[in-house]
Amino acid sequence: MTTFILRRLIQTLVVIALLSYVCFYLMTLMPGDPVELMIQSNPKITSEDIVRLKQLYGLDQPAYKRYATWVSTIAQGDLGYSRTYRVPVGELMGPRLYNTFILSMLSLLISLAIALPMGIYSALNPGGKFDSFVNLFSFAGISIPSFWLALMLIIIFSVNLGWLPAGGTETVGMSDADYFTMIKDRGVYLILPILSLSIQQIGGFVRYARSAMLEAMRNDYIRTAKAKGLARNVIIWRHGFRNALIPLITIIALSFSTLFSGALLTETVFAYQGVGKLVYDSIIGNDYNVAMISFIISVSMVLLMNLVADILYGFADPRITFN
Amino acid sequence: MAIPQTNESSLTQGQINQLEKATPFWKIIFNQFIEHKMAVAGSIVILIFVIIALGADIISSITGLDPQKQNVSARYLAPFSTSEFSMDMKENEIEKWSEKNPELAVELSNFIKEKSLFSATDGQNPLIGFGTQDVSVVTAAIASENSASINSFKELTKTFTTKHWFGTDEVGRDVLIRLIYGTRVSMGVGVMVAIASALIGLLVGSVAGFYGGRIDTALMRITDALLSLPLVPVLIVLAAVDLQKLPAIKALMRPDNESIVKMFIILCFFSWMTVARLVRGSILSLREREFVLAAKTLGAKDSTIIIKHMFPNVIAPMLVAISLGVGNSILFEAALSFLGLGIMPPTASWGNMLNNAQEVIYKNMWLTILPGIMILLTTISFNFVGDGLQDAVDPKSIRR
Repeated sequence: MTTFILRRLIQTLVVIALLSYVCFYLMTLMPGDPVELMIQSNPKITSEDIVRLKQLYGLDQPAYKRYATWVSTIAQGDLGYSRTYRVPVGELMGPRLYNTFILSMLSLLISLAIALPMGIYSALNPGGKFDSFVNLFSFAGISIPSFWLALMLIIIFSVNLGWLPAGGTETVGMSDADYFTMIKDRGVYLILPILSLSIQQIGGFVRYARSAMLEAMRNDYIRTAKAKGLARNVIIWRHGFRNALIPLITIIALSFSTLFSGALLTETVFAYQGVGKLVYDSIIGNDYNVAMISFIISVSMVLLMNLVADILYGFADPRITFN
Repeated sequence: MAIPQTNESSLTQGQINQLEKATPFWKIIFNQFIEHKMAVAGSIVILIFVIIALGADIISSITGLDPQKQNVSARYLAPFSTSEFSMDMKENEIEKWSEKNPELAVELSNFIKEKSLFSATDGQNPLIGFGTQDVSVVTAAIASENSASINSFKELTKTFTTKHWFGTDEVGRDVLIRLIYGTRVSMGVGVMVAIASALIGLLVGSVAGFYGGRIDTALMRITDALLSLPLVPVLIVLAAVDLQKLPAIKALMRPDNESIVKMFIILCFFSWMTVARLVRGSILSLREREFVLAAKTLGAKDSTIIIKHMFPNVIAPMLVAISLGVGNSILFEAALSFLGLGIMPPTASWGNMLNNAQEVIYKNMWLTILPGIMILLTTISFNFVGDGLQDAVDPKSIRR
């Protein structure tokens, strides 16, 4: 078990390191490096200045040397400075991570709370009206473009009904208010993003929950339990659901990847100040330091969640050995 | 096929023949497929969209709508409204018409002066002054007249108005024709990416599955690593890259298709993994089958065994993967184009029509609603078709 976790951890770290280099290299291919931007904004710049500036920023070096320099500064705890926001990157990341964490966790919990009962109920009554509704709903959920769903929610709830704000994280100047007003205020801004993320996730989860439960209820021990005359509830929950949970845990942990992808689009549409929006804004705005850090952090989070999924899988199903 | 529940003697010769005839594989699949109602509905929708995409040029020439034609005087029109040319556009057209038909133009000017249909101020051309009024005013004035010049002019004024079934966008382009051309781009990219990535996956999966050992481990490590990445951020980084800086790809690009080629390459790179795993799995089990052993004993080359004996066995599950892949590719293309990193305007795609949807919502919400409905309809159709195919090729997986 320990060797398995260690090996997977090392693998994950290798992937992260490789990916950070690839990302770094790709950033050098993006149009407009810092010096090019300075040239654009200052017509009086001379060619000697350009050479000097390129040397100053190390842009005359090949990509791998620049990467090495960048890694060593990161290792010293210096994450760099954001060009757009004029603050150190470290200061920027904290609140953004917090915002994304709240958004994704709440929508994950809400979608699980809705999807699991839906999936289980339709698995217990296959072929019924509710089952076909669930089927249609889950297909719609996986087929709908997430950003468009978000836009539709804005049209309905913000433009037409005017109930909820169309975007943002909190009302300006609210940070001075007392605790409960602040929570209420942020909650109002969270409703639409959570709704739009949840609708899609429910689509995926319901499908998996239904098929996992169907699969579990088809086992021989369920028939045995029925023959023994156990109560229906006991059969469903203790014998059926517990076994359906094994594949579900993996699916849920693996869904962090799609959750994060979806959150990026949702955050962008709702102008919600999370990591996803930061990744997008910094890449569009040529803010390289922020782009690198936010990208690596977001990818690492997903990869670590995949690792956690593998480990949890072993705990949920004692038959699995890690060899 | 249902076997009649009667004793054998009561069967006619025809029925016996029918029973003895083996049903071809594709027919079994087809019969299973048409049982899945949503899949059939989905394939009809896809068929309609394919026809629309292929006939986009014909539709454009029949209706006279041009996806690129802007008209700043008719921005954000609601669906079912009619737009008119602005004054200077009309003037332009009338001048062109008069240059083409000088004698008709003189005749018409005289007619306008004669009937005093328009009181021209000093130095103003009465024809232009008359013609640039509202189209309804002009047609009402000359409706009952009938002469060569007037008929020709009537034809001209007809082109001044355009009916916009789906309204117009922020620069006055017709939304309907842009959606039609967008079908071509979005579905084209989706289908091509799905097919190309299925081929890549087939190659990788079959090599990994057939040779096993270190090759297999290495290829599957890469596959798993790519599968575990959160796709949207990765795609955004790649889409923001200026691929022109890579010489190998530069050769493929022309200025007019640059963004489409780029989108195709990026999406292909991240969509082959599911097919690769699927193919590897089937090849691993096929490798142990007798017919492969027989082929090997007969001295068949590795490539022959893979292509001739194994591929036919993985085509069915691959079809499922392709149709599910189309839906995903369309979704990713739309998302990237929506973020302004995918297909670049002026080429219309469903995604980039939503590009500045957030600002446009308040002016004309149909601009946001319609392209999304197209995306949703297409992806849900492809997903249902994939589901139907899955049931057809693997009856064990049917939802019970």
